[in-house]
Amino acid sequence: MAGTAWRRWVLLPLAAAVYAAPQALGGSGAVYSAAVLIAIFAVMAYGLDLVVSDLGEVSLAHTVFFAAGSYTTALLATRAGAGGWATLAASLAVAAVLAALIGLVTLRLREFVFSLVTYAVAVVAMTVAANWAFLGGSDGVRGVPLLDLSLPGLPLTARDDRTLWPFAFALLLVTLYVVDRFRHSALGAAAVMTHLNPRLATMSGIDGARVRLQVFLVSAPISAAAGWLYAYQRAYVSADVLESYFLILMLTAVVLVGRRQLLGPLLATALVLVQEKFFSLGGYVDKIVLGSVLVAILAFAPQGLAGLLRPLARARRRPAPPGRQNPG
Amino acid sequence: MNLLQQILNGLVLGHAYALVAIGWTLLLGVARLVNFGHGQMYMLGAFVTWWAVVKAGVPYALALPLAMACGAVLGAAMQRLMLRATFEQNLVSIMIMTLGFGYVIHGAAALVFGSTGQILDTALSRREFALGELWLTGQDLAIVVAAIAVFLGLKWVLDATRVGRLVRMVAEDPKLAQLAGIDVRRVYYGVFAFEGAAVAFAAGMVAPRTPILTSMGFDEVIMTFVVVVFGGIGSVKGSYVAGVALGLFTALFGALVSPAYTTAAAFVVLIALLVLRPGGLGAGSAGGVH
Repeated sequence: MAGTAWRRWVLLPLAAAVYAAPQALGGSGAVYSAAVLIAIFAVMAYGLDLVVSDLGEVSLAHTVFFAAGSYTTALLATRAGAGGWATLAASLAVAAVLAALIGLVTLRLREFVFSLVTYAVAVVAMTVAANWAFLGGSDGVRGVPLLDLSLPGLPLTARDDRTLWPFAFALLLVTLYVVDRFRHSALGAAAVMTHLNPRLATMSGIDGARVRLQVFLVSAPISAAAGWLYAYQRAYVSADVLESYFLILMLTAVVLVGRRQLLGPLLATALVLVQEKFFSLGGYVDKIVLGSVLVAILAFAPQGLAGLLRPLARARRRPAPPGRQNPG
Repeated sequence: MNLLQQILNGLVLGHAYALVAIGWTLLLGVARLVNFGHGQMYMLGAFVTWWAVVKAGVPYALALPLAMACGAVLGAAMQRLMLRATFEQNLVSIMIMTLGFGYVIHGAAALVFGSTGQILDTALSRREFALGELWLTGQDLAIVVAAIAVFLGLKWVLDATRVGRLVRMVAEDPKLAQLAGIDVRRVYYGVFAFEGAAVAFAAGMVAPRTPILTSMGFDEVIMTFVVVVFGGIGSVKGSYVAGVALGLFTALFGALVSPAYTTAAAFVVLIALLVLRPGGLGAGSAGGVH
């Protein structure tokens, strides 16, 4: 990997270009709406990315954390008049509590049993959201007010997708920073080691169960933060935030470009959303496209799109040491 | 409603759960494949049966094999795409791919059959039998008989035939089986085709009891999880017992507590089981089918 100085020189202009992109692409409402959704869904996917790519487990409960953020925000904003900072803090807290509960119950479950249980969590959450009157039942929660993050002397509000974009962009940057920090932290290293070499991890004194729980606790609030902003973007929340679309989108975002690539989930989300928003073939065909992309990438290019390009890049530079970089 | 009627309902429901889960039990036991598209394959089986009977005018007795053939072809095609991951035992890829398949099946079914709910009426479901105060339909009886027949048949094939011995060898140790000259690839194809055919058959049998919706696969699969995990992974007899027990539980829970939360209740049972005996359900115990 390249040094940090190199990264700074590339990433800063890249961030500026991304920030200006919706304006450069015409600045219409549809473009800003797509940009905001890309940022939100990418943040949602980064939560899952830590569990799938770093920990090597498939959590199917991350739609629940996303929904927890949305519901917490909608309920507090409409019924208690809470502002943006309060709903954000509450969303993160609720997701952390849920993650702790799910994490503790599934602590000793591995592989597919873990995935079965997390899938069941998502289905049950959907039944509960659709039936429980406290959560608005099948109608959901309507009338979420506009986002207001104003600080004393600094008005920070969003009226529409155009004015929401700076907030979505900021949330995306913070998420990227957190994910990058995580990958360079002791916890991130321990997660990869328990995933790739459990025996070595145990010999190094790493408690696998504890690492799993901690990664879960880091990842859930990330997806919840996306749910928080999504509630403001849509202005209402209903049980459809738990639909399998979000799960499939997240999984595609994680695997499409390549695992443990910092910008992978963002690029993948952008690809999917641009297709759906500007080159849509109708809702059902879009479903078939998204599902087929997910299957095809894992069947024919398990290393992701980046894995397809890697041999080219390697041929141009000095030979890289052999080794599997993205084991499943 | 009296209690006896609920127990009868539970027995029928239980045989339905067991029948729906049988393909996955074998799949998990033999190839360690977890099929998250199982619920959508069930949905597709129900719709193919409905389409054949209602739209194409095919007799119900022929619609079932037609749905099973579609299921088997679909299962084999899925296995083709997952073959590499299966040999590598790359469970992360397999699970995500089956979720993707389920999503594709859902989109395709909505595209072809429309998103409105349908009702499948058969001659059997219109006939009712009364025993004093108790009653059940001919379809209910057929489900129970079919489930028992399929379970006994599968048990016999596994225990007493050459094919069954090959399948059990592959389940025990695929590498050793390959060294012994067994075409492991063919066994995997066969097992996944069986999964597709079995779930389509189950769907054709069970679908007349409920409205058919393209969205029903998402939560339908939870009951199968409970049956497969509770029955002991890969155990044919176990999943029969687990299916019947789960049917009784959900029927009584639905009648006495709340019909809206039966899935949630079944899930709580699953969690309780996993927490109480997690050791017996881990990845290590999955080897073998019996």
